Amino acid sequence: MTEPLLKITDLEVSYATRAGLVKAVDKVSLEVQRGETLGLVGESGCGKSTLGFSILRLVRPPGEITGGQIIFNGEDLLQKTEQEMRTIRGKRIAMIFQDPMTCLNPLQRIDDHFIETVRTHEKAVSAQEARQKAAELVDRLGIIADRLTDYPHQLSGGMRQRIMIGLALILNSELIIADEPTTSLDVIVEAQILDLMKELKASFELSMILITHNMGIVAELADRIAVMYAGKLMEVASAVELYDKPLHPYTQGLLRSIPNISLDSQKLETMPGSPPDLIEPPPGCRFHPRCPHVMDKCHTYEPIMKEVEDGHRVACWLY
Amino acid sequence: MNDNLVEVRDLKKWFPVQTSFIETLMTRRLDYVRAVDGVSFDIKRGEVFGLAGESGSGKTTTGRLILRLIEPTQGHIIFNGQDIVALNSKQMRELRRQMQIIFQDPYASLNPRMKIGDGIGHALEIHGIARGEDKRERVITIMEKVGLTPAATLYEKYPHQLSGGQRQRAVIARALILTPELIVADEPIAMADVSVRALLLELMIRLKEEFGLTYLFITHDLATAKYICDRIAIMYLGRIVEMGPLKEVYGHAGHPYTQALLAAVPVPDPHFRRTAALPRGEIPNPVNPPSGCRFHPRCPVAIEICSQEEPELVQIADSHYAACHLLTR
Repeated sequence: MTEPLLKITDLEVSYATRAGLVKAVDKVSLEVQRGETLGLVGESGCGKSTLGFSILRLVRPPGEITGGQIIFNGEDLLQKTEQEMRTIRGKRIAMIFQDPMTCLNPLQRIDDHFIETVRTHEKAVSAQEARQKAAELVDRLGIIADRLTDYPHQLSGGMRQRIMIGLALILNSELIIADEPTTSLDVIVEAQILDLMKELKASFELSMILITHNMGIVAELADRIAVMYAGKLMEVASAVELYDKPLHPYTQGLLRSIPNISLDSQKLETMPGSPPDLIEPPPGCRFHPRCPHVMDKCHTYEPIMKEVEDGHRVACWLY
Repeated sequence: MNDNLVEVRDLKKWFPVQTSFIETLMTRRLDYVRAVDGVSFDIKRGEVFGLAGESGSGKTTTGRLILRLIEPTQGHIIFNGQDIVALNSKQMRELRRQMQIIFQDPYASLNPRMKIGDGIGHALEIHGIARGEDKRERVITIMEKVGLTPAATLYEKYPHQLSGGQRQRAVIARALILTPELIVADEPIAMADVSVRALLLELMIRLKEEFGLTYLFITHDLATAKYICDRIAIMYLGRIVEMGPLKEVYGHAGHPYTQALLAAVPVPDPHFRRTAALPRGEIPNPVNPPSGCRFHPRCPVAIEICSQEEPELVQIADSHYAACHLLTR
């Protein structure tokens, strides 16, 4: 098997708060292969976005990466200087954020966003060439090139998100991190953007980390899925395997409790309790207070990630 | 007694568009956002009536109009046989004991400096129903009903000390404390964690049975609506495009917009592949809605008449209505 594009080992990200140290990401190990889309799912506060930001070393104080390794293409990103990171962000690893309105500069025309992105990293390219490149790209994203002279507020929400995707694609980044890329959109536009991303995934052979809380969206886009809960990685498997045969009780509960539009499934199962406070996480397995299969040792010992089947890893004492 | 708790007739809310002083002088014309533009529906006693649509469809405005939290531009709202549009503010305050609202964001709707228990019981004091020990008892009872336990401990907490799910339960408890007949629930579970949503939904269904409530359930999420609504109305740009029993609307959607909305919902199943074509573009500007059927510029099956005449809501099956020219040809 070839070297993965991204290999995260025992990553720890902590936030110093007045009440104590909060480990938002706690010893998480993950890989992203070339050309694959990894879905990173979990509820708010589970650490999925923090994990995404830490790959780009964009965790803001009081947050800090306190341990682990992030190997990208054979290089440890945690050993890089800030100067070196700048040549990686946007160029080799690009990010698509949730809310395009706060990511686009309201005083800058759309084409200037593209020109700035390209010329920051590729100084030899002229503004004219960069604009030409942007025009060809946005055309593939379903936007007429004339709109490049518009300001962000003149575009609709869906168009703005297409522009964000364009900005992430224009430098042919090796890895794209998409953090809730469709959450601020209405359902029909969301479906349009998902269709677009599916198409781009194939035509650009994208390697992507898709961060979302929506189990429907990962089902549509991801090849492999990692489930996080309270800062911990709970389960990793191929998308089909995870939905067909979820192993972790949290994944099982989550899949049973999400509303489904199909009229056949009428019953919604519930999960007791709510996600824990990370200042004082439960001892042992963090899911044990809500787990229907809880055993004695779950209260005291933290389960170790185990490969139960080929490519299917789970952190649970049941296995 | 009438079957209908609420009857809404030709309700309109036009918000004036802010223009600069100079513009007003130059054009002498006021533009309006037609947030709600002539909707009529009934909410039957004891049912959950859903109002669904994308942002900007007017569903939230409709919910607020029914409580008269904002004043309608035109139309009638009949609550328990009485037209409430004509009531003065004192009469209206009296009537609001019977109609309560649950907002989407429990952070924003709980006073951060008021203890949870006092927040829930505040309405009892405002309406002069109970105070002191009596209030406390009533609050504790309702907190137990919504699963805010141990109630005596949580009574003393402040909103920031509670989890998201608990806060939303507090908001539900506050809506229930006056034992209203109608609850307008505006995206009540959208802010909650995914694993908590199902529990809140179940709670709302249980409370409805126990207290004999009627809900107006406002949501953008058709998958969630499926589990709670008896009947549903789909809104688009201030108009109802389809309305009927939930199973009927989901199973035999008549309007192309409803069909598109249903098809666009992401399905949590990696084997599933969406086949239906999605409509083009996005919701147009409600200041100048398209002529004829408001959906026609995006409609995959639009015909000539669609851009000329606005279709009426007509019955297409038993108590199932849709507004589309293709259904009446």
